[in-house]
Formats: sequence, structure tokens, C-alpha cells
Amino acid sequence: MASSRQPRDGDSRTPDARAADHAAIDRLADELVPALAAKLGATGLGEIEIREGAWRLRVRRPADGVNLGRRSSDRPSRSQPGHAGHGHAPAALEGHRQAARPAAAAAAAAHSTNGSAGARDVVATRSEPEPNRRRGDADGHRAIATSPAVGVYQPRADVTAGTRVRSGDRLGIVDMLGVAQDVISPVDGVVGASLVEPGQAVEYGQELIVVELLAAAGGSTAPAGGPGGTGGSGGDAPGAG
Amino acid sequence: MFRKILIANRGEIALRVLRACRTLGIEAVVAYSEADRECLPVQLADEAICIGPADAKRSYLSAPAMISAAVVTGCDAIHPGYGFLSEDEGFAEVVRAHDLTFIGPPSNVLERFGNKESTRRLLGAHGLPTIPGSEGMLRDDLHALEEAERIGYPVLIKPSAGGGGKGMRMVRSPRELESAIKVCRSEAKAAFGDDSLYLERWLEDNRHVEVQVAVDRYGHGIHLGERDCSVQRRHQKILEESPTPALSDAARAELCDRAVRAVVAAGYENVGTLEFLVDADGNVYFIEINCRIQVEHPVTEMVTGIDLVAMQIRIAAGEPLGLTQRDISFRGHAIEFRINAEDPDHEFRPSAGLVERYVVPGGPGIRMDSHLYAGYEVPPFYDSLLGKLIVWGADRDAAIARARVALDELLVEGLVTNISIHQALLSSEAFLEGRMTTNLLDRVGSASFLAAASRV
Repeated sequence: MASSRQPRDGDSRTPDARAADHAAIDRLADELVPALAAKLGATGLGEIEIREGAWRLRVRRPADGVNLGRRSSDRPSRSQPGHAGHGHAPAALEGHRQAARPAAAAAAAAHSTNGSAGARDVVATRSEPEPNRRRGDADGHRAIATSPAVGVYQPRADVTAGTRVRSGDRLGIVDMLGVAQDVISPVDGVVGASLVEPGQAVEYGQELIVVELLAAAGGSTAPAGGPGGTGGSGGDAPGAG
Repeated sequence: MFRKILIANRGEIALRVLRACRTLGIEAVVAYSEADRECLPVQLADEAICIGPADAKRSYLSAPAMISAAVVTGCDAIHPGYGFLSEDEGFAEVVRAHDLTFIGPPSNVLERFGNKESTRRLLGAHGLPTIPGSEGMLRDDLHALEEAERIGYPVLIKPSAGGGGKGMRMVRSPRELESAIKVCRSEAKAAFGDDSLYLERWLEDNRHVEVQVAVDRYGHGIHLGERDCSVQRRHQKILEESPTPALSDAARAELCDRAVRAVVAAGYENVGTLEFLVDADGNVYFIEINCRIQVEHPVTEMVTGIDLVAMQIRIAAGEPLGLTQRDISFRGHAIEFRINAEDPDHEFRPSAGLVERYVVPGGPGIRMDSHLYAGYEVPPFYDSLLGKLIVWGADRDAAIARARVALDELLVEGLVTNISIHQALLSSEAFLEGRMTTNLLDRVGSASFLAAASRV
């Protein structure tokens, strides 16, 4: 975890003041960062900033791309923020996902400010929802990578059915007027069926590639090669807000 | 003519363009954001394509997404509607670079008319009256005082750069001018990095009158009369009518005639609207030109019988107008009421949500342009326009009588709408006597309009 301090106008502190600041940073980091990171994961917020005394601490989700640490199916509905924390992700999955949890991914920065000591205030910014991933997980055994743009789809040549991928891996691109937009795996898993042909025109949010979850693909919890017959169910899942 | 058009907009105007395409026998693709999947134009379209998330910056305002959508669906033209990308000359240029046609003025024309100040000079040179102002920028206090004396108080101090009211002050005397000019200079310097100022005559109680024109690629132009848009709330039009009650028939005819001659001479192309202020003495001043189809275009369609969107598409396809001014006749009076999802009792704050019931008025001379249907959920991401009720009558009184009935019939349940402010307007003396000015609703306050109406 990166923790940095940026004195305002050059470092003119006494050694004592410096030591006190270091202690303060340690305390903030130990006490607050894990709690804030957990809160960040649970609320769906993009950024949380707290101010206490002369210190300001901000924990932020990675700016773009994959919705780390939160499965698309767990996306809280607008009326129930915080629901994600009680998501129904299979326990087996959690192990694989540790690395991607907000706690680890969050960038935390502490800044010395001249703010007057006193009450702690919290500044939080809501993250932009990731609607294009919302249909990512149709039945708990598979997720679906969707199109990030309107354009022409090209899968990666070295990613075929059976390829193991991690959450955030690039599975292909959608060419939007000559600019490649990455198609990202929403989960750790094994590449399954392709839902569109290479070179086909696709719209934003269109389902492109099935990714079987590792637990389901390898374990006994899933009917191997099961019907998958829910067919388009993913496509009609949580309605267009 | 085009084979297939991408409709790069949403809501009622997407539906309006879809209808025009169908009338012309042109295929249409509706581009939509994820928030508009259930929107009526998407439901009615033969083909629709999702271009991005709800956030307009990544969908309706994204030039690459729109053009990519047009390319992959095999369209040969893009209709931008109003708002969003409709007056973006950069967008028009990129559209052209992809061998598609932008339905509107060509990009070089958009560029020529893109800057308000230079457009005023251009059309002023072609015979349109503009608001009297200082000759060039103010050099110093003495120059400012001389110019203000020449123009006549009150005058408006305006910065050369920027907008949004920064560096802008109305002053009524030389003393006020001297002190305000220092403030304006420092404000303009801070906001735009440029402290050059000029003066313009202040128009106290003005009306907004605009002229609809259409010019084809071959320099043939006609006007389609004028619209009065003086009923405004915080500079937003809420009701428009034609003809304007602000000018005599002779003055209207002269204004329209001058407008079309000026734009033809200045090289305008396609449909457009020239906006004017009319002061209390009936003097007319050109302000700006809108290079697109406007929200209130149906008012003109009702009194001329001409499909303006179809005309816009034909002109963009390179067809000649096929009409001369003598072919245009004006009949009766039309009023448009903008039906917005906003609460007149609470500072017009916008509302969103499920339309539980929706009943559209009918009868002679009634037209409703709207994308609503019962069960539709109005998304919170875009503007609050739910639709437009347009009423035609043989004269203004007849149109008002029909409008009262129609507004009573119109039912939008589940959302708070501004229907009550329209009903209040129809019982206000200022409106009935044709005396509305652009600041009246704000000065008197919408609340007192509503209160006065409820006493009737």
C-alpha cells in the first residue's frame, strides 16, 4: 500500500514534528485504511476521503475498467446501496479474488493540510455504475464479457475456448472508428462459448464471450457442461435502468 | 436521397425524426443510451443500436460512438436532432470525413455561423439590425463614457470573451459606469484572461421573436414565418406561438423578408432560425442564429402545413427547395406548450419516474409530440421535456379556447408536470392580451401566476 505525504510549502518541519507526522501516518494507515477500504467495497462508492486534524486521507477505487472486487451481479440496485457486501458470491471464489479486493487495489494517500483540528469529516464520491457489466453473471456459474463500445468485434487470437483467464484480462477488442476498446473478462475463469463472430458489428453492452467461473468449471458444484440453457436469460436480466 | 438515416438523439425529437424518415420512405436506425432502452422511438424503430451508457458524454454527446453506430449499421446520413451534437461543427466535419451526410448545414457553414459575435457582424452587414453598441472595444474610461452617451443609458457592459454573466453589468448613469467598468475588467480578466469590454444598449422589456428560414444548396431561400417565444422561465422557453402578437402584419412580413435575404446573402444552408429581440417600442434586433431544427418547429408546421424535418432532410440530400415564397401561405394561429417533468410548486425542480397513466388530448387542431406511454419510466439523466402539446385554431382566441380544453384533458400520472403553469398562463391577462415579455414570469413569479389562476 502506498502512503505518501506531501508537505505544502517545502519541508520546514522540525525533526520532532516530522516524527509526529510519521506516527500519525502509521496510525491512520493501520486504523483507517482497512476500514475505509472495506467500506469502499461495501458501498459501491468510487472514493472516500476523510479529514481529521491536519490530515486528509483518501481511498479510491481504480479509475476505470474492471469492477474490481465486486461481481457484476452484486451491483447494488440504486435503492439499496451497500447490498454488495452481502453478495452471494460462492465462498470458493473469494480466494481467487483476494488480490483484486479494493483493500489491496485502493490507492491511499495522506496529505498534510492546514485544516483546523476538530471533527472528522468524510467526503465520498459515488462511482459511476458499470451498467455494461451488469449482465455479467447469469446463473452463478458463468459470467459474460460485454462490449465496451459500438463497433466491430475482434477476439484475441490466443484466447479460445478453454483458455484460463483472470478478471481484468483482455479477451479481444471492439474497433470503434479505428480505436480499439478492450473487451475485459469480468471474472477469473475459463473462456467458454463465443456469442458473436469475429468481424461482426456489435453494440454497446452486447454479450460477447462466456467465461465459466473456475469453481463451476472445475468443481462438482456445477453440472459439467450443464444445459447452460438459460440461453438469453442474461440478456434480459436486471432491467435497463 | 438517403437510403438509411441514423437518428442521433432521444425522446420526442428522435420520434419526430423517425416519423419524417418513414414518411419519406427512408430507413432509420435509432441510436440510444442504456437508459433509453424502453424509450418509445427505440420501441417503434425497425432498427435501434445501443451506443453507450446513460451518461450523455459517453453516448449522445460521443461523436465516435455515433459515427461508429452509423457506419456499422450502414447508414449514409446522421440526423442530430436538437441539443447534443446538433450544432457541433467538429462533429459535422468528422461525419463528412466518414462519407456520411450531416443533416443540417455543412460544416463550413456551421463554422461561419458558429461564433455569435462574428455572426452578428456578418448578418448586420447584410442588413439585419443589431443591438446598438460601442464601436469596438473600450479603450479607457473616457472612451466608455463617450460611447455610453452616444448609445444612451441604460447600457450593458459586456466582456469580449466568454459568457455566463461574468464581467457583465447593466448601468444607468455615468457614475455607475465608471465604477462598474473596473469591476467588470477584473472579473473578465480573472474568468477569461481577457479584460476587453464593449457596451450594448440595455433593452428593458423585450420579447423574443424568431424567424424560420430554409435555404437550399443552390441559394434559394424562403421564410416560414415567425414564432413568438416570449413566455420564458429563467431564459427557458415554455410556450411558443405563431404569428407573434408583438408585431403588426406589415412589421412581421418585413422582418421575415429581411431575415431570409440576409441569410441567403451570407451563404447559409438548410433550415435555421434567426432570433430577434423586440423592444417596447417595436424595434427589432438580431441576436443569434440556430443552425438546427428547433424544439418549437411544430408551431410553424401547423400554420404553414409544411413538414420542416422532411424539408431539412431533403435539403441535406441536395434536393432543391422546389418552393418559392409565393407557395408558402400562413393559416390561423398555433401555440405550443412544452410539457416538462418539473414541479411548478417547488421551484420547478425536475422529476423522474414511472408514467402510471397517460391520456393524450384530441379533437380538431390538436397535436401531441411525445415519447411517453403508460408504463414508461422517465430516466433522471436527461432534460425534463416530456412532450409538446401543439394547438391550432383559426385565430388566436380560437387556439386558446382549444388549448384550455386540451390541457384539461392531458393526463400524465406518476410524475409532477408543469401543466398547471400553462393553465395559469391561459388565464393571465398579460398572456391573453399578448403582452408577455421574456422576464415577466420571473419578475412576477410563477407562484403568483399559479395563485391568480386558482382564484379564477
